[in-house]
Amino acid sequence: MRGKFNEQLEYLGSLFLAIFLALVLGAGIMILNGKNPVQGYMALVSGALGSKYLLATTLAKTVPLILTGLATAISFKSGIFNIGGEGQLYLGAFAAAYVGFTFTELPVVVGIVLAVIAAMVVGGLYAFIPGLLKVYYNIDEVITTIMFNSIAIMFTGYLVNYPFQASQGKMGGTDMIAEGFKFPKLVAMSKLNTSIFYTMIIAVLIYYLMKKTSYGYNFKIVGENSIFSRYAGINNKKYMIWAMIISGALCGIAGAFEVYGTHYRFLQNISKGLAFDGMLVSLIVKNNPVGIVLMSLFFAILKTGSNAMELNTGVPSELILVIQSVIILFIAGESGFKEILKRRQLNKARTVK
Amino acid sequence: MKDIFDLALLQNTIRTATPLILAALGGLLTMHAGILNIGMEGMILIGAFFGVLGSYFFASSFMGVVLAIISGIVIGALFGFFVIELKSDEFIIGIAINIFAGGLTVFLLRSIFGVKGAFSSPDIKPLPDLHLPFLDKIEVLDKIFNNHSILVYVSWILVLLIYILLYKTPYGYWIRGVGEHEEAIETAGINPKKIKYISSILGGVFCGIAGAHLSLGYLTLFTENMSAGKGFISLAAIIFGGSNPIKVYGASLLFGFFDALGIRMQSLGIASQFTQMIPYVATVLVLFMVAQKKLMKRKGN
Repeated sequence: MRGKFNEQLEYLGSLFLAIFLALVLGAGIMILNGKNPVQGYMALVSGALGSKYLLATTLAKTVPLILTGLATAISFKSGIFNIGGEGQLYLGAFAAAYVGFTFTELPVVVGIVLAVIAAMVVGGLYAFIPGLLKVYYNIDEVITTIMFNSIAIMFTGYLVNYPFQASQGKMGGTDMIAEGFKFPKLVAMSKLNTSIFYTMIIAVLIYYLMKKTSYGYNFKIVGENSIFSRYAGINNKKYMIWAMIISGALCGIAGAFEVYGTHYRFLQNISKGLAFDGMLVSLIVKNNPVGIVLMSLFFAILKTGSNAMELNTGVPSELILVIQSVIILFIAGESGFKEILKRRQLNKARTVK
Repeated sequence: MKDIFDLALLQNTIRTATPLILAALGGLLTMHAGILNIGMEGMILIGAFFGVLGSYFFASSFMGVVLAIISGIVIGALFGFFVIELKSDEFIIGIAINIFAGGLTVFLLRSIFGVKGAFSSPDIKPLPDLHLPFLDKIEVLDKIFNNHSILVYVSWILVLLIYILLYKTPYGYWIRGVGEHEEAIETAGINPKKIKYISSILGGVFCGIAGAHLSLGYLTLFTENMSAGKGFISLAAIIFGGSNPIKVYGASLLFGFFDALGIRMQSLGIASQFTQMIPYVATVLVLFMVAQKKLMKRKGN
């Protein structure tokens, strides 16, 4: 147990170092641009947390990150890599929107529950197919899920521009969902809505599933060592497929919440890479559910704050995308960096002798 | 129907297929070396940006291509360093590169050119078109194959060169060997790391050239996210063509055709999503058929 604790401590050290180095790099870029990095970062922080409205905007951004992050975690932990979150999110969002603008007469609770279930089923099924292809035909799920992303985005693009085009105005969007279905806003004018509570509940459930149940344990050992788990009598195939389904369902929910909490309709560009952002979040914290919630908050702060940074100091907001991708590069290379350092030390020790 | 299918459509196919061919040639090299590069999308984007940058500042499209190639070398080496040296997951690095490229190019677009969204200027020198006089005599061939941007013809030559490299030279043997039996290559006294690095860097270079073709040959401007999924279609072409340069070339032409068809249909107000979907669906189907064949064989045995 102690070894594991030390390992986690060491990882936290690497994580903070990675974030620190990425921020230093960001500061360097700001200086090259003739801007003051201290001012830039101050503007970023106050622009993300400085008022009730800004804080609400930041929190609203955590919702899709947490959901798609958890989706990534559960699949990656099980050793099957769902890169298709974006497609599952699009299909889920459309399914939820369809329920919302078609069955407008339903009681609010029934309508919303139905919409979320529709999103989960559609997202889950869309992840089930690559899962099946992986498990029974040994077809690389990374490739199929990437292909499935493009297919889903184009398919919903077709739906929204032809059969389900909004009855008035607005190209590339469906009709609005029923007024009563819209998730209530928590802070006026901001995008923060009740979906943050549902997201928290889902996060707790997934945490419980992954950390406290035998299912979660089985997912993990299936992912870590499929030969061992087979000896232990666990049905690898079943677990991998279920991991994909749960993962897809979570992405579907993320899509439903985008519709019901933010846009109130399906849009053909409803997500510009939300699922990929969530994937980065999860990978940075090594698929740890608690870490995902915290890292989503960090990413959301960067995202919201970057607009204020741009307004106040003229540093283009895209700088944070560079910072985020550098963090993931450092973390992805973590064990490799450590190995190189160790080798260096060994070499040094040898030459001293 | 007449509005859709004509010689101009085939001419457009050549144009739209070229970035796919170029990027896919790079990607298939890394694929042969046993590395799946899903960062091609970002690498193309970076190449497109630096192509415009070079062409604009040096007032020469040649320098644009040079800069795009240099950017390809750097990003390919970076990809290689993480995947080969640090043994990071290749698709995590690929995704990171895609996001990095999206951020970096827009950031640079705004801090260097001070514009948002797109940058075009008469000072960006486009790549020259090539006129092949011997095609003049046959009208059909002339219309389809003549007067394209120079990289179109370069890409055809590169297909042959890569084919020869892969199947007729020891380098090709080593590249394929690293992907198949790394130990065997090592015992033959070849450093597999070096081979993998070379193929990663070449992968970056080809994606860079593909990007330069987009921003200097196909169009003469840079827009945010202008690679628009071309890296993923290239990946589809690689898989569809079984990583064989000639077959991948054919797949790229086929997918380029559907792309050109989609653009044509869009301009006529016809839903183009289903034709644009074809490359992806076809790739999954091919994977499925190959896998099923393997499965049947195993059962047969």
